[in-house]
Amino acid sequence: MISIKNNLIWIILTILITMTVSLGFAVILNKQFRGRTFFRGFFYFPCVIAPIAVSIIWRWIYNPNFGFINQLMKVLEIDFSQSWISDPKVSLYAIFAAALWQAVGQPMILFLAGLQAISSDVLEASRIDGASGMKQFFFITVPLLKESFVIVIATLIVSALKVFDVIQGLTGGGPNNATQMLSTYMYSQTFQYNNVGVGTTIACVMVFMMMVVIIPYVLFTAKED
Amino acid sequence: MEGKSRKVVKKIWLYGILTILAFIWIVPMLTLLLTAIKAKKDFYSGLSLFRLPAEIAWSNFINALTKGRLLVYMKNDFIVSGLKVPLGIFVEAMAAFAITRLNIRHKTGIFIFFLIGMMLPMQTALVPINVIYSKLKLLNTYFGLFYVYIGFGISYGILILRGFFKGIPKDIDEAAFLDGCNKWQLFIKVILPISKPAVATLVITDFLATWNEYLLASVIINDNAKKTVPVGIMTFVGEHGTDYGYLCAGVLVSVIPVLVVYLVFQRHFVEGMAGAVKS
Repeated sequence: MISIKNNLIWIILTILITMTVSLGFAVILNKQFRGRTFFRGFFYFPCVIAPIAVSIIWRWIYNPNFGFINQLMKVLEIDFSQSWISDPKVSLYAIFAAALWQAVGQPMILFLAGLQAISSDVLEASRIDGASGMKQFFFITVPLLKESFVIVIATLIVSALKVFDVIQGLTGGGPNNATQMLSTYMYSQTFQYNNVGVGTTIACVMVFMMMVVIIPYVLFTAKED
Repeated sequence: MEGKSRKVVKKIWLYGILTILAFIWIVPMLTLLLTAIKAKKDFYSGLSLFRLPAEIAWSNFINALTKGRLLVYMKNDFIVSGLKVPLGIFVEAMAAFAITRLNIRHKTGIFIFFLIGMMLPMQTALVPINVIYSKLKLLNTYFGLFYVYIGFGISYGILILRGFFKGIPKDIDEAAFLDGCNKWQLFIKVILPISKPAVATLVITDFLATWNEYLLASVIINDNAKKTVPVGIMTFVGEHGTDYGYLCAGVLVSVIPVLVVYLVFQRHFVEGMAGAVKS
């Protein structure tokens, strides 16, 4: 049960934070400036690294004694040390930060594609009508990005439901199930404790949850034609 | 004049924000690099993470490649990806061709049927595959692995290729038929070459997805000689959990092939992904 709760938290975090951050990146990287292509490639890069490799890198960063974050605190002489992934209270969010590092690239590209499809005439017209930067963004750009939003939200929810590698690599669902997701729970039940029945049931629950997202998405895609 | 200086201020803001973000983004990679070149004794002493070691510990890399069997893992992964990617794309292209070009009934229905495949998470397939494979003696084989990968890749591939094929005007078909092509030739000689951008995008994404896949590989393969890179790396963690220099060297080496693919195709990659969405 706790794994369903964690999975839902994970989905909400993904939608709120990953989407906002990637949209922000896309908006910044859609401006005209030198080195744009470089920065696009740069922020996309973590996407191509294996999630398992990502989890190992972050495991080291979160290491309580010698890891980067706690060392940085020491150097800056801030009296703060945290055991990050082995503390049940923060471990879920610590893993999410690692996942965020990797996950931003994909939706960013999707948003960029959507942003480029918006013709500059529309923006010009709204500026003449007196829309400020903020207004322009929320009332012109966001509605025009509708299609990108649909794709991004659908893919993000699906990948959030399936999330496995990062968690398996960082904590394996521990400490004390604090980061247990449906996928990791299914895996450990089936292959560590040999409760194949329980594992399969969890997999079925995942399919049902997935259906809620995918069926509207498929209908949306098919209707477009 | 005032407008111009405001523009400059804006530019400075933009670069400032970008630099901060870029710095945050590169920290994990830097830590990885700095740890990989340190011997064990170097980084268990105080604040060493921010200091360069006296000498680069090449032994980390050599150990990872030979004792850690990373070379074997990489070879395995190349075999699996090398089989999966071309075969998968070929099957997907044929299906997409049939859906968009041939006169068959229930085109949309077939397409939706394929798309529903995206709904099934790999977790649902783990137990059935495990049972079937152990009966068919397919556990610990390359075939067993890339065969399932093709199956799971099909939905996405058809989605992308169908979008692209649909954008190719039908006049081309008729012109080809007039010139005496049959359907097979139309597919191989006309449609596929036109679709190069979509196919290239798919090659890259497919390669990365296969190269990085962990869940399925960890279930099907448990023979050390047959493991792919992500599964192999996890074995590292099990065997040398505390020797981070060694571990990071392994991770770094395993990232290199991906890095090369990424750098070679980088420009194409970002544009191609965007193109795949638009169509």
